[in-house]
Amino acid sequence: MGTQENMLQPGTPGIAIIQEEIKSPTKVMLRKFLKQKNSVIALAFICFLVIISFIGPAVVPFGVNQYDYSAILQGPSSTHWFGTDEFGRDLFSRIVLGTPISLAVGISAVTIGAVTGTVLGLLSGYYRGWLDSVVMRICDTLFAFPGIILAIAIVAILGSGLYNVVIAVAVFSTPTFARIVRSRTMAIKESVFVQAAINLGASDSRILFKHILPGAIPDIIVQYTMSIGTSILTASSLSFLGMGAQPPTPEWGLLLSNGRQYMTTSAIMTIFPGLAIFFTVLSFNTLGDGLRDALDPKLTE
Amino acid sequence: MLKYAFRRLLGMIPTLFIVTTCVFFFVRLIPGDPARLVAGEQATEADVLAVRTQLGLDKPISTQYLNYVTGVVQGDLGKSLRTKRPVSEEVGYRYGNTLKLTFLSLAWGTIAGVLLGVWSGRNRSKWQDYTGMAVAVSGISLPSFWVGFLLIMFFGVELRWLPTTGASDFSSYILPAITLGTSIAAIIARFTRSSIVETLKEDYIRTARAKGLKESVVVWKHAFRNSLLSVVTVVGLQFGFLLGGAVVVEAVFAFPGLGSLLIQSVNFRDYPAIQSLILIFSAQFIIINTLVDILYAILNPEIKLS
Repeated sequence: MGTQENMLQPGTPGIAIIQEEIKSPTKVMLRKFLKQKNSVIALAFICFLVIISFIGPAVVPFGVNQYDYSAILQGPSSTHWFGTDEFGRDLFSRIVLGTPISLAVGISAVTIGAVTGTVLGLLSGYYRGWLDSVVMRICDTLFAFPGIILAIAIVAILGSGLYNVVIAVAVFSTPTFARIVRSRTMAIKESVFVQAAINLGASDSRILFKHILPGAIPDIIVQYTMSIGTSILTASSLSFLGMGAQPPTPEWGLLLSNGRQYMTTSAIMTIFPGLAIFFTVLSFNTLGDGLRDALDPKLTE
Repeated sequence: MLKYAFRRLLGMIPTLFIVTTCVFFFVRLIPGDPARLVAGEQATEADVLAVRTQLGLDKPISTQYLNYVTGVVQGDLGKSLRTKRPVSEEVGYRYGNTLKLTFLSLAWGTIAGVLLGVWSGRNRSKWQDYTGMAVAVSGISLPSFWVGFLLIMFFGVELRWLPTTGASDFSSYILPAITLGTSIAAIIARFTRSSIVETLKEDYIRTARAKGLKESVVVWKHAFRNSLLSVVTVVGLQFGFLLGGAVVVEAVFAFPGLGSLLIQSVNFRDYPAIQSLILIFSAQFIIINTLVDILYAILNPEIKLS
């Protein structure tokens, strides 16, 4: 035993290599991620927002549409932390209750886009041929419209409303995922282990989902996180323009647009909803940056 | 090179054609009867019929399509339902405003973004880097309409220094341009930084330093010049993005540009105008992106064109 311990003294070159191999990629990634304080804080903030979304209705001091005409357009006070709007509704309560709306719109839109784009990317990268040409043509066409213009066009067809905003944002986030996954698929398909699986007679679906998809997951995760931030911005912009959420929904973009009329008398109405959007989007973008650095194998610790 | 540029320009035509076709079917995709939607709830059957004739929806779809495509090729974008005048008239005078706003935003955004990116990149992993990149990630996370509001409240309402609406003189461009340029500066800063960080690792940078050159010469003359290529590409792509992205900012400042026209048209259900504007936005986007690609090929000596 004693002699073995002596042999395995750390510092000998051979041992260092063994220790390096023991670390699983997940652990390496986690360590790289935890080193980035900003991203950890961002993740904590996002978790906080998710909790707020669920417990919000139980903890807010006022109802979402609780009118109080004796307290209209007030500044912040101990009763109304963020002040009140033109109907005397408590803005703090409304902003808290608006959290699940923005999160749900951003997350559901990007999830739809990510799933559709990933499947399209896998299929077109794996089978190539006419399917690939068609999918890539569609992506090119969608890319030919600047993002927000495409969203406005889709909302103009389908009509205003949050559901249509989700569809619009999902449509314009799809091609990015399709392109990323397609190029990954084409690269991984040529690798030895996939060729081996093909020669062993593995089914196409097994190869696609068990061998190729895991290789594309890191790229998908980074793009997913970054897209949520952008989607929340786009969705709130559309609501701000009157094409998304409709009153009396406490959607943040709508709250901001509502505050516009009272800019000279009650500036506070536009400050807090803007801060809410800003911090939410900032957390998703910071988290995305952190994940990108943690998942990038080229970046060493 | 000429051959490559020519091929790229030709390659644009199918995409432009597909986009034009998409935009044509776009109006026909509106659920229900667009003519009834335009005419309004209380419209009589005769009113609806009149609107349908005006929109050209009474003809067979193939004739509609043919008329539309010949119209687009000749620059005839149809008649606006709101102003009852040709769409191209209103587009014409607003286009210049949007173009000026875009150039102004892009100019300051590029300068600020490059300075911030180089400053962060040359001080990699120091406080300057962290500060610079924190500013940049904040810049891409800010809702532009909120930035616009804050600027209006501070410089327009509080200090009364600058006009907050219109496009009458240069001063009315300042606040919208600051708003629009913020996210551009942030995006360019992020790209410049990563490009500078990569370039500073190169051997020739070590050589330049070993020769005893001043650090500022190394950074600007050696590193930045090499990063310029990717910066030019990003700036070019942002230009196309800006022309569309100005929509929200124009709405905030009631700026008489193409973006605010689009919003007005959507609110008014002015389908001929919406159709033309979407076509214009995407066509210029395609053209600019192709030109940027060609420019990239011209600037990059490493690209061999077969």
